[in-house]
Amino acid sequence: MPEASDIVTPEVTRPHAPTIAPGPPELDVSVVIPVGRDVGDLRGLFGAITRELSALERSHEIIFIADGVSGDTLEILTDLEAESDRVVLIRFRQTFGESVALSAGFERARGATLVTFAPYLQVVPSCLRKVLEALDAGNDFVSAWRHPRVDPLLNRLQSNSFNWVTRAVTGVPIHDLNCGLRGMKREVAQDLTFHGDMFRFLPILASKQGFRVAEVKVNHMTEMGKRGFFGVGVSIRRFLDILTLFFLVKFTRKPLRFFGLIGAVLIFSGLLISAYLVVLKVMGESLAGRPLLLFGTLLLVLGVQMLSIGLLGEIIIYLHARKIREYVVDEEL
Amino acid sequence: MSELPEAPVLSIVIPLYNEEESLRPLWDAIQAVLPELPSTEVVFVDDGSSDTTPEILAELKATGAPIRALMLKRNFGQTPAMAAGFDHARGRIVVTLDGDLQNDPTDIPRLLEEMDKGYDLVCGWRKNRRDTYLTRILPSRIANWLIGRITGVRIHDYGCTLKAFRSEVVRHLNLYADQHRFIPAIAAGHGAQVKEIVVNHHPRRYGTSKYGIGRTFKVMADVVTLRMCTRFASRPAHWFGIMSVPFFVMSVIFGLATFLNLLELIRFGGLDVGYEAQTVFPSIAFLFFYLAVHLIALGFLSELFLRVSDHRMTEIIDAGGV
Repeated sequence: MPEASDIVTPEVTRPHAPTIAPGPPELDVSVVIPVGRDVGDLRGLFGAITRELSALERSHEIIFIADGVSGDTLEILTDLEAESDRVVLIRFRQTFGESVALSAGFERARGATLVTFAPYLQVVPSCLRKVLEALDAGNDFVSAWRHPRVDPLLNRLQSNSFNWVTRAVTGVPIHDLNCGLRGMKREVAQDLTFHGDMFRFLPILASKQGFRVAEVKVNHMTEMGKRGFFGVGVSIRRFLDILTLFFLVKFTRKPLRFFGLIGAVLIFSGLLISAYLVVLKVMGESLAGRPLLLFGTLLLVLGVQMLSIGLLGEIIIYLHARKIREYVVDEEL
Repeated sequence: MSELPEAPVLSIVIPLYNEEESLRPLWDAIQAVLPELPSTEVVFVDDGSSDTTPEILAELKATGAPIRALMLKRNFGQTPAMAAGFDHARGRIVVTLDGDLQNDPTDIPRLLEEMDKGYDLVCGWRKNRRDTYLTRILPSRIANWLIGRITGVRIHDYGCTLKAFRSEVVRHLNLYADQHRFIPAIAAGHGAQVKEIVVNHHPRRYGTSKYGIGRTFKVMADVVTLRMCTRFASRPAHWFGIMSVPFFVMSVIFGLATFLNLLELIRFGGLDVGYEAQTVFPSIAFLFFYLAVHLIALGFLSELFLRVSDHRMTEIIDAGGV
């Protein structure tokens, strides 16, 4: 049985960045693996990662986060924890999602470098070396790019269009946001806050925060354990994620610039329409049969509503100003 | 050569972005005025310069001068660079200075004199500005007038970087999102005593200005926010309540018109709006009523946010006098 201290019930939303265990890092690498719905051969994955890291002579730990899983999967994880002192198991009683799982793993991590993996063999394990080398070369965050992809055409199409739209919207040139393999320095994990589905956008959040982000090509394997094609519901959610990301990245500190612009345009159009109709009325035309009058009023109302929501946003940000830090100091001479 | 003091009285914060040509002359000018100042640290903040600014800073630092150099990870912009300097400054008094030599370090002793009189924030006023009129001075005049008018803190030159702060003011400023333009208004909103004195201004010798016009909308949005947050943050429900009044009045007017129409009483001058009153006026009245209620509800919501936050309006007043 796992000890009581291993059972973590985190808050669903995380107001603060993960507070990483204080003190200097005790290990070279912490591997964080959130284990959720899609699971592959965990034993094989564990073996491959430890072999690779041992060959590289890096001290390491592997943190599994059991995100509400039960049955065989949980059994394998508890067995692994019992067999190896390099394995840390964090158990959630229910599914909290990948962002919360990653944050919990980051919090527990003792390594100077943090690496995340998908809970199934996704890329050739030796690619871990490339990621670590890129971090050693001075990058703060390394995103893996599965290239060439070996997925079915439809799957690739979906994934590519998601990545393309995100690149276009954010301007951060990352080609494969859905790859589970990422590497980052400890300070990056300390600094980033993310929730919901935002874990996908970790490289973008890191880049916007001023960290050096690099991308390395890795060799893709046929992914055993992952679901295939994703439905329309998933596409809609990804699209909403991108919209949220766009708003959060550009306007988090200045919501009124966003809502205010929309509101101003709506109000202006509403006033213009109303003025036009008043002129018509003065010239003798009846407005009784004209839906345009209602439309003008509606635009005005909607515009003021947008504006007021922007003001509310500004109040929220202002009240939290002391928690905002917009800069990252590289070093002090 | 003076050493970097352990507990300086004065911190001079200077944000730098690609100032390789100005940096050495600037340091010479500061060094010339150092003997007149109390124990001082100079905090340079390199905002991700792509030129040789970092190397020059390292060289200056190597001479043993009382310099601290904060190297930011990338170019974050003026406000974050300033905030970084503020967060790391240790002096009881903090002076901010432009990195482009347009401010004159010899004005610093005069700023300190004013601080001794008990002010919390002394702002420089570039009365004889040496810039092009149409692209720099005129937009700035308009902006200063607008900011002063809307926030109620009327000083002449919001854009002048040369300022002296009591450290308590700096600690409670919490700058974010381009707020460096509004520092006096924010500080005054927190209860700081603000004073303005005329300072020297030199034309730009090196490089080009890193600002321009074309940010009017942003500044407008920011000023509205500022007014609300510095003056009404203690009672946000009032803000939204006042906003709702005109729409409530409109809704009553249109509602009344609808009602009066039933009594066949309605004529404005030569205009007969009887048909409209029968058809569209009720809908318009409903829409405006809906908006008024929405605004009042948002007011309550914002009160709720204020209640659960740890924000205090009176931080600087409570911090006590000099």
